[in-house]
Amino acid sequence: MLNYIVRRALLMIPIVFGVMLITFFLFFVVQSPEQMARRILGPKAPPETIANWLENRGYDKPRFLNLRQGANPFDSLFFNSMKSLLVFDLGKSDITGEPVAEMFRQGAIPSLLLTFPAFIVGLLAAVGLSLFLCYVRDSAIDTWGIVLCVALMSIPIMVYVIFGQWVLANQLKYFPVFGFSMDGFGAVRFLALPVTIMVLAGIGSDVRLFRTIFLEEIRTDYVRTALAKGATNARVLAVHVLKNGMISLITLIVASLPFLIMGSLVIENFFGIPGLGNLAIKAIHTSDFSVVRATVYLGSLLYLGGLLLTDICYAAVDPRIRLG
Amino acid sequence: MTVATRPGLTPILFMPTLTTVRASSVLVHRITSAMSRGMGKSAFLCVAWTTLIFSGCGNDPHVPPFRTTRDNGDPWLTLYRALGDDPRTLDPQVSYDTTSDAIVSQVYETLLQYKLFETDPYQLEPCLAASLPKRTQNPDGTESYLFTLKRGIRFHDDPCFPDGKGREVTSDDLLYSFRRIADPKVECPVFAVFAEFIPGIAEVYDAAKKSGKADYTMPISGLEIVDRYTLRVHIKKPFPQILYWFAMPVTAPVPREAVEYYDGVKREQFRFKPVGTGAFRLAEWRRNKLIRLVRNDHYTATTFPTGGWPAEEAGRLASLAGAKLPQADEVQWVIIREAIPGWIMFRQGYLDRSGVQKDVFTAVLNPAHELSPEYAARGIYLYKDVDVTTFYGVFNMDDPVIGTNKRLRQALYLAYNGDLANEIFRNGIDLPAHHVIPPGVFGHDANYRNPYRGPDLERARKLLAEAGYPGGIDPKSGKPLELSLDLVADDSQARRAAEFDKAQFEQLGIRINIIENTWARLLDKMQRGQFQIYGSSGWHADYPDPENFYSVFYGGNIPPAGSNHGRYKNPEFDRLYEQMRQMDNGAERLAIIHRMRDIMSEDCPIMPLMHPVIYSLAQPWTKRISNNLLARSSLKYVGVDAKLRAQKIAEWNRASPLPVVIGAVCLTAAVVGGIMIGRRRNA
Repeated sequence: MLNYIVRRALLMIPIVFGVMLITFFLFFVVQSPEQMARRILGPKAPPETIANWLENRGYDKPRFLNLRQGANPFDSLFFNSMKSLLVFDLGKSDITGEPVAEMFRQGAIPSLLLTFPAFIVGLLAAVGLSLFLCYVRDSAIDTWGIVLCVALMSIPIMVYVIFGQWVLANQLKYFPVFGFSMDGFGAVRFLALPVTIMVLAGIGSDVRLFRTIFLEEIRTDYVRTALAKGATNARVLAVHVLKNGMISLITLIVASLPFLIMGSLVIENFFGIPGLGNLAIKAIHTSDFSVVRATVYLGSLLYLGGLLLTDICYAAVDPRIRLG
Repeated sequence: MTVATRPGLTPILFMPTLTTVRASSVLVHRITSAMSRGMGKSAFLCVAWTTLIFSGCGNDPHVPPFRTTRDNGDPWLTLYRALGDDPRTLDPQVSYDTTSDAIVSQVYETLLQYKLFETDPYQLEPCLAASLPKRTQNPDGTESYLFTLKRGIRFHDDPCFPDGKGREVTSDDLLYSFRRIADPKVECPVFAVFAEFIPGIAEVYDAAKKSGKADYTMPISGLEIVDRYTLRVHIKKPFPQILYWFAMPVTAPVPREAVEYYDGVKREQFRFKPVGTGAFRLAEWRRNKLIRLVRNDHYTATTFPTGGWPAEEAGRLASLAGAKLPQADEVQWVIIREAIPGWIMFRQGYLDRSGVQKDVFTAVLNPAHELSPEYAARGIYLYKDVDVTTFYGVFNMDDPVIGTNKRLRQALYLAYNGDLANEIFRNGIDLPAHHVIPPGVFGHDANYRNPYRGPDLERARKLLAEAGYPGGIDPKSGKPLELSLDLVADDSQARRAAEFDKAQFEQLGIRINIIENTWARLLDKMQRGQFQIYGSSGWHADYPDPENFYSVFYGGNIPPAGSNHGRYKNPEFDRLYEQMRQMDNGAERLAIIHRMRDIMSEDCPIMPLMHPVIYSLAQPWTKRISNNLLARSSLKYVGVDAKLRAQKIAEWNRASPLPVVIGAVCLTAAVVGGIMIGRRRNA
């Protein structure tokens, strides 16, 4: 196992390197550092201001390899960035000058306060509902339940947001429409509506998926045996099907855990949650390359970490799988 | 991933699974017991919430103000405003965007400011300065301005000062701000303006570039400290507009202690820790969420104006004459990126001001563009202000087809129906532009009619024939003339506008090819002159002087030197520009401006389209003081009727329990029904 983890961790290095290389390439294909500077400083900025801006941030260096005479070939934008990213020196935002690590640190907790409860509540609700649909399988309730799930998953999240804000917050005035707080009751007051919306928006597809997983389990021999031995439908579902179905569920759950920290763009923007959701989008819109590269770097690490964690979990809960 | 699956008999598969079952049973048990322990707290939260919601204040989105009453027992007044994004910086020498400026201007004040009630034309008055500066013309053609500071003006109290108390502002602080402008590491975006006019700035900048570090002791020959409160500014050539720069935050005095403390000792960065002389000081900045300003208790620089207001406002404003500023005690700027929540907060009374967004335009305003009955009944105020901005389409004067053919440009402008565009895209609220100088700026003439402003298709066709393209056909190829129209494809609105422009021009029988660009790409093409027509250009006043608007068409400002992206160059226009930029406002200057206007209209390097009109709303408890869009630090004049606000908010936010009860009953019925059906089926 340890051997496998080390091997996978080593394999992550070239992958992350490749991801960063592609990001660099794509970012600067779309715009040169000069264009980026002009965009940030505004169309009125004179050339010397732009040159000074580029120099202060090292963007005046060649992008990939420094082929200037007498220069160190690795004294380039890409390698200098990689050097600092490797030791998790995320640098400063090109626009505000704020340390990027600080931006992540400040946004992570609000994001988690939104996504983690939504994740847990959504998961419990989806498992419960899918078990219920299995319990009444092949009935009208099951059919209409599925129809409802398809409807829920087909509605774009924006519709939930606008409905929630306009009807529940504006017309009925049950929730504050906007805002955030970290103290116990305040947090519940502000997060109730966005969490509910996130749960509703995600539950349709989850219920359908989980129901399929559980139904597959129900059709196995041991369930038939259990039912034949006189176990009740409810008991079979709660004790046997749920626990065995969990193997498939765990992999899904674990893989999505690392992304909770990244927050949710739409929900955060509409409800005023100062999380990480809009960090990447805003950085791309404003040409803040320092933030883009840090987000891509941490994002790819999280993604690879999530995959590794899934594999480990698989091996831990399912004895048919061995890592080696 | 290497996955080894072990095929085998069913029992073998089952056995280890049971271990997992046991493990997860323990987990489930732990979770449920934890939940039951938390049950009491959750029940309490539910009850508390329900009580709060139905008591009518459950939806207050704000953090509580710092205090509820002032020291003397009067209510603590808080203003609630929305900001579209975090400011980029709160360093006055760096900020040059409207979002940052909204905050910076409240925290930092400048030697001069705009007169609150003078908007046509805009005028300056002293703020930190004791009087308008004394101007001297020197025999060698240079000029000097003598600025004298008011006595006893203090910086905000801040830990950067030895005893935490803000010290008095002196002429050294004024000089220090210029030293920062000349420091390449500070990255002042308008450094070039000062380098052009004030001797010594460029030299200090270049020396710092060479040595890698700015020398804050190096003399700047154009800035001379006369005494503790007096600074003499020498300028290389007459440039009366320089005074406007002394009303911009870039020249605001900054305490050296704060820069050294926050950029040096503490690692918090001065750009996030402003220490100024403004009527408010920064109390808190929670990124992505909120900026809170609180009153500067020892603010003395200005008081409420003692006159000048419009006659119809005298009843309200006369009682405030000479009042101590700021009127309010706290300002909360909530950072709201989306339009809908901001609008709902305004409707609920939780924001004092709002724009009129496109989505709600028809709900808020009637067809005559006055408040609809619902909003009029709420007592809301509607304001309409012409922005000091002109939007225009720009032709590339270096282009071999369009740049050399005056008649062609005139024909295109004549074919364009700007009023229709205004109706379609702006609800018809904007003011048609006939020239680049907007209202409020010296030289604007409301009665002027541009001879080539459309729509006049008949004349346009005639001019097109004169241009050598009868019926829009290029005689060389026998096919319709093809022109390209660039746009920034950042939203559907931009595309629709480009499609509209295309349809307008194609009425002449020519062909228009739309080229979509990213913003960065377009800026680059404008710099290089690689376009024919760009339909959505414009200029917003840095300061309200015609020189600022004409600088965009001065031949000396063709990129990379400046912002003359259309590459317009007319020797007579340039000569008049050089002449008028040095002059004071007066009949002679006005005549020159009108001459320049006529030259431009005839040459037609741009198609003036509109001056945007800004519609804004204010709550009944905070009627606005002035319509001055350039008076940046105007928040200090604004007060609030706290009693009326509390009353209206309570009235507008009463929640009814009925829908909750109905919803709960329906849900319970659905669940119980479902379980019953399931049981019956399983039985």
